[in-house]
Amino acid sequence: MSNPITDAAHLIHGPIACAGNSWDNRGALSTGSQLYRRGFTTDLGENDVVYGGEEKLYQAILEISAKHRPQAIFVYSTCVSALIGDDLAGVCARAQKKVSLPVIPVDAPGFLGDKNIGNRIAGETLWQRVIGSKNAGAPKIPRSINLIGEYNIAGDLGGILPDLTKLGIKLQTAITGDARYADLTQAHRAALNVLVCSKSLTNLACSLQQQWQTPYIEASFYGIEDTSQALRNIARGLGDRGLSGRTEEYIRRQEKETRQAIAPYRERLQGKRAVLFTGGVKTWSMVSALTELGITILAGGTQNSTPADFERMKARLDPAARIIEDTSAVGFLTLIREKKPDLLVAGGKIKYLAHKMRLPFLDINHGRKRPYAGYPGMITLAEAIARTVFSPVWDLSRRPYPPARGGEGGNENVV
Amino acid sequence: MSYEAQRHLECHPEYRPESHPRGERTERHYQGNPQKNSPSLGATLAFLGMNGMLALLHGSQGCSTFIRLQLSRHFKEPIPLNSTAMTEENLVFGGWEQLQKGITQAVEKFHPEIVGVMSSGLSETMGEDMAAALRTWRRDRPELAGVPVVTVSTPDYIGSMQEGYRLAVTALLASLRPKEPEKGTGTERVETESPASELVQLKLNEPTPEIRDQGCRKSEIRGQSKCTFRSEPGNQSECTLTSAFSRKTALVPDVILLPGCHLTPADVEELKETVSLFGLQPLVLPDLSTSLDGHLESEPSAVVQGGTTLSHLKRLPQAVAVFSFGLSLVQPGDYLRDTYGVPHYPIPSLTGLEATDRFLLALASFSGQPVPEPLLRQRSRLLDTMADYHDRLAGLRVALALESDLLYSLSLALAETGAEISLALAATPEGRKNFPATIPFRVGDLEDLEDLDNLGELAHPATPGKSFNLIIANSNGRQAAKILQCPHLRAGLPVFDRAGYPQKLWTGYRGSQNFLFDVLNTMSG
Repeated sequence: MSNPITDAAHLIHGPIACAGNSWDNRGALSTGSQLYRRGFTTDLGENDVVYGGEEKLYQAILEISAKHRPQAIFVYSTCVSALIGDDLAGVCARAQKKVSLPVIPVDAPGFLGDKNIGNRIAGETLWQRVIGSKNAGAPKIPRSINLIGEYNIAGDLGGILPDLTKLGIKLQTAITGDARYADLTQAHRAALNVLVCSKSLTNLACSLQQQWQTPYIEASFYGIEDTSQALRNIARGLGDRGLSGRTEEYIRRQEKETRQAIAPYRERLQGKRAVLFTGGVKTWSMVSALTELGITILAGGTQNSTPADFERMKARLDPAARIIEDTSAVGFLTLIREKKPDLLVAGGKIKYLAHKMRLPFLDINHGRKRPYAGYPGMITLAEAIARTVFSPVWDLSRRPYPPARGGEGGNENVV
Repeated sequence: MSYEAQRHLECHPEYRPESHPRGERTERHYQGNPQKNSPSLGATLAFLGMNGMLALLHGSQGCSTFIRLQLSRHFKEPIPLNSTAMTEENLVFGGWEQLQKGITQAVEKFHPEIVGVMSSGLSETMGEDMAAALRTWRRDRPELAGVPVVTVSTPDYIGSMQEGYRLAVTALLASLRPKEPEKGTGTERVETESPASELVQLKLNEPTPEIRDQGCRKSEIRGQSKCTFRSEPGNQSECTLTSAFSRKTALVPDVILLPGCHLTPADVEELKETVSLFGLQPLVLPDLSTSLDGHLESEPSAVVQGGTTLSHLKRLPQAVAVFSFGLSLVQPGDYLRDTYGVPHYPIPSLTGLEATDRFLLALASFSGQPVPEPLLRQRSRLLDTMADYHDRLAGLRVALALESDLLYSLSLALAETGAEISLALAATPEGRKNFPATIPFRVGDLEDLEDLDNLGELAHPATPGKSFNLIIANSNGRQAAKILQCPHLRAGLPVFDRAGYPQKLWTGYRGSQNFLFDVLNTMSG
């Protein structure tokens, strides 16, 4: 969750498996520094496991600071470093004195659980160590917001920021998409927090409300109506009547333009049936976006979503739609066979599984290449869905080959 | 600045690492842009070449998630890897139960033919005794006795993909061992079949009548031609054709192929075809050519589909020879030689003219067959390409950053064309001793590529300035390539930003020719 802080170095204190398999693999984009994309790891070896990795970590922090000039260094513990008892906080404190820049320990070893827990820990770390560490007493910046849980995947912010800018709303920082460390230290000066990704960062929003008296609202930027509602609520949350009026006007214009743009896609996609299998805020926010394209949701399932996200999705779904309870691969396959959808919307993990089943697929998670947020994102989304649903490959791959005599038969496919 | 204008910056990163003053290079205590993969990823890859395999990683959720994502974005395939998802509670009370529960559930639910369990940094640091856990599991679950379980110890803090892959291959071979498992290893024995059933199976599995005929011809020549084959490098094993063949009575002799993890599914397929052309029946372990070759026919499953079958695995001890490809697999090959007396021929590389020559000559002398005409034709085409482009190839100064087997293959294949190898940067020290002294070998990460170039350490005396004009590395080398503004040919793992590379042919005459084309086209931009 902290990785998209672009001008910081992110150092994984663990063996190679923790960083080596995963660095620079997210779609979170930066408009500035590319430092966050570098994979830094202490690459703990056998000797370190036996004798401890603290000294190596200390030296690594010093070296990275000297060579890469980050604005801050985030140091992440892992299962192994936690188990061998390295004092992460102690080393970071000692190194910080030497390097004169914030060295922030994030204590989130993998055995603590799933991604939600990691998100929460990162949120708490930001609250304790980063937000408010500069200009603590400074006044709020009028008409400014933070977007909590927005990671600028595939440049999603590009679909949101122009709206905000045109309305005169300042984005203090996203937490943490395309974020600069300096902006984060002053995140407490935003007048409003907008929580865009699920509940795993609700704690952060609550803490900010208690400590800095920043109110928060929840919002989603996927789909036309959700985007409009988000802008409307932001204007209201900022308590500026003039802004609210302008926003309504703006929304009307944008909605009209966007609806016009997606009309041809809607016409073609009308009545297509989708299965939704995703996580976080997208569990429920994608329901609206798909419905706006005329797509029926046959079933929805969740991974890494909180119960609240889940309830919210349920409320938005057609009562006839099914909630996927068995989220294992087998349960998933059974569902697909039973429902025979025209489209599967899920995270990249399932992408190639879907292709094997000759199933049109839309990647909605961190691995995707296209921004779907805001009004322009809705058009991008419509195009992407049309491309996969109407791709000629599905028909070609369903056609038996070699053709059986008499026309029918052959190797019938799985769906 | 507008947001659009800012986004434009993505293509022109303002970030540049501080370069050290020329000539000064400090020691590092971290890996910057690591090129290493984890050993458990390597073990997973090996298990993915076993048909009906249920791969299970004993560690926390993240361990398996990252391996799945990494392999999936490389091969563009679903990766059936399961996890015991260890929690804090397991840390305190031990992960035995979690492991036993994991195996039981997986076996009951997915009905695998074989189960492969890997350890992780977490379970190894805890000191989990997987062998003991497995023994009590066997005692408690006698009804599941029919399912072989292979365990392999792959602590994340030792080695890289290549090492983990070798450990898993060795564990699979060790499961064939006729004696009881040694204390401390949990690898169980897979019952090998009697010669009678082997013969029946041989008949069932014969690929084509032609090959069978060739096999018969071979029995005719038995005792007539006698030839010796010197394996390389250094590791000399000699064997006469007569003795090798008279060990067995099968019509088509089984030959074991142990492809290294640097060989793609297409490479393995080519290897099988080549061996078949010599009238030999290839038994491949692991066989990625039928499991990770990216075919649309298979139905998704939690167990591996395609790959080496259990019955093929059981036939290995009766084979007439074992060829290992890549220096990292010499050890499992030697294991087969020492345990079953199967003659072992290590083939260090399959890319390049001379490397392919050596392999084919070995096959020819071993089988008593001449090198088949189609292969000679391919060889001639490769030579023609080398001649047509010799001037451009000789102008290359290449930096390669790869795991050592692939590093060795590609470096030598390029050196053979007259190209200069500015730097061979290996992920781990393994394989250092095998590199010719003429190739500058180092161990390092992808940040080293930038540093060494900036330092001018590698600059050629005759051509000062840029020390190399081509980078060959996995996709993660893109950051260095961008900063150095150097063409970058993708090779190794992961390659996620070029289509088709993970399923491309890199070996044999055809593959070598393709490799040279790729190099030249990359240079052309």
